[in-house]
Amino acid sequence: MRGENKRSVIVGIFVFLGIAILVAGVLTLGGQQKKFVKSISLKAVFDDIGGLQTGNNIWFSGVKIGTVRKINFYGDSQVEIEMNVEESVAEFIRKDSKATISSDGLIGNKIIVIYGGSTQAPPVQDGDRLEAVMPLDTDQMMETLQVNNENLVEITNDLKLLTSKLAQGEGIVGAVMTDSLLAENFKSILNNLNRASINSNKMLAELTEFSGKLNEEGNLFNDLVSDKEIAQDIRATMESFKSAAANTEALTQKLTDISEKLNDPNNTLGLLLNDPEFAESLKSTLINTDSATYNLNRGMEALEYTWPFRKGFKRKAKADAKEQN
Amino acid sequence: MAEEADDRKPFLSKKIDKFFTGLADAWNFVRRFWKEVFLPPYEFKEVIHQCYRIGVESLPLISLTGFIVGIVFTNQSRPSLSEFGATSWLPSLISIAVVRAMGPLVTALIAAGKVGSSIGAEIGSMKVTEQIDAMEVSATNPFKFLVVTRVLATTFMIPILVMYTDFVALIGSFLNVNSNELVSLSTFFVQIFESISFLDIWSSVLKSLLFGFTIGIVGCYKGYHSSKGTEGVGRAANSAVVISMFLIFIEELLVLQVVNAIRGM
Repeated sequence: MRGENKRSVIVGIFVFLGIAILVAGVLTLGGQQKKFVKSISLKAVFDDIGGLQTGNNIWFSGVKIGTVRKINFYGDSQVEIEMNVEESVAEFIRKDSKATISSDGLIGNKIIVIYGGSTQAPPVQDGDRLEAVMPLDTDQMMETLQVNNENLVEITNDLKLLTSKLAQGEGIVGAVMTDSLLAENFKSILNNLNRASINSNKMLAELTEFSGKLNEEGNLFNDLVSDKEIAQDIRATMESFKSAAANTEALTQKLTDISEKLNDPNNTLGLLLNDPEFAESLKSTLINTDSATYNLNRGMEALEYTWPFRKGFKRKAKADAKEQN
Repeated sequence: MAEEADDRKPFLSKKIDKFFTGLADAWNFVRRFWKEVFLPPYEFKEVIHQCYRIGVESLPLISLTGFIVGIVFTNQSRPSLSEFGATSWLPSLISIAVVRAMGPLVTALIAAGKVGSSIGAEIGSMKVTEQIDAMEVSATNPFKFLVVTRVLATTFMIPILVMYTDFVALIGSFLNVNSNELVSLSTFFVQIFESISFLDIWSSVLKSLLFGFTIGIVGCYKGYHSSKGTEGVGRAANSAVVISMFLIFIEELLVLQVVNAIRGM
């Protein structure tokens, strides 16, 4: 009797533990699939759902927030998706949020991703319909990829042609690569360029230093740029220059008049400057004057030794000697 | 009577007639079970006793098998997944395999071998030693006491054993995954439950009930209809195991079709 009782207890424990495993599994599964969480229903209409199934997950900001509850045809061959979304998350999803179909990995299950939404829009409510954004179609991607492939073939063909020309030493680059002298020249050009760039760097540094000095206060150039009084002075100076230029212009005009008059043989100076006959006559006059002066000097020297002037000259010579001492 | 029947001209052929007669007998046996199971008196004590023998005593063997299945299946699946760099999917793969198919199937096959044969042999030896006739004489309903109790015990104990097998197999799988991919227990179980659904759990439980019923009813039927002395006992035990295993696979196939149809709805 005692043995039977013991057996019953063991069977009870055995059954209890077995059922406990089942219940724990059910509860964990329910918790993970949000079966026992209060949820709201959201809808979205897609043209093509790409194999999405009921029970697939809904993601929002990378977090699983619900599952696909129903898939129905809608309108003209469109598909309406009904989603169960946790009620606690609904306040973060805005009415202008969008829904698209994606997958949780390269070859993973299909999922619906809710994204976007502005803070100005109110949170979603039960039964709201989200804007559906069609996902990238694999066929379209493949078509684009095919175009890329064709381009790649063309590019590689060109590259092949280019490299063969390079190898044969055609063109500048080919010549540089095959001709050692040209390569050396190119190397020296590069060295020169390098030196030039070093020098230009130095120059730039000096220019920087110079411009820094120019920017220092008390510097003439800095004052020119920053001091208002100097600017006014410069302006006044410029005005003076302007009036001076006007005066110069008037002066030039007058000089032009004078030169015109000088060129005119009807006046004295003009005649002097322009008439060769007059010049010849003047020249002979001057020669005559010179000879007359010479004769006058001789006459004066003779006068020095002549009475009554001799005494006067002696007196003057004495006075000059006294002044010199 | 049997000799008279043998002397009769066969309806189709001797073998075909025998097969269909056996089917009819089995059908009647099942019908009798469903009739007897609801009628008093109820043999609770004997049901508990059989539960102990079938459930508790099978637990060590089935736990060990489940544990090994978990480890081996994980290890064998790894190379295929690692070719795609998808070893992180191992927990999902294992959970689907264990919960949907391996757990119920392995438990049922082990139970068919251990329990089904013992039921067939036990009832068969009682039959050939005329203990069943003796029970009838002593106003005890042998069908209720021997068949109903055992079938009820297998029907209810196999699902419980399946729960244990699933649990132990997943633990074995976790140890393997943990030592190779360094996945934590919580991550492992999150991934386990991510890939299965309630349908998987309920279909597994219902399938196990069906497997348990099959093991019990086939074992009892074969034992109850054994003949020809000790040789018949051995044959009953053997055919109980073979037929129940065969039926388990057939049922597995049918349940799979039904569950997939429900899943697609």
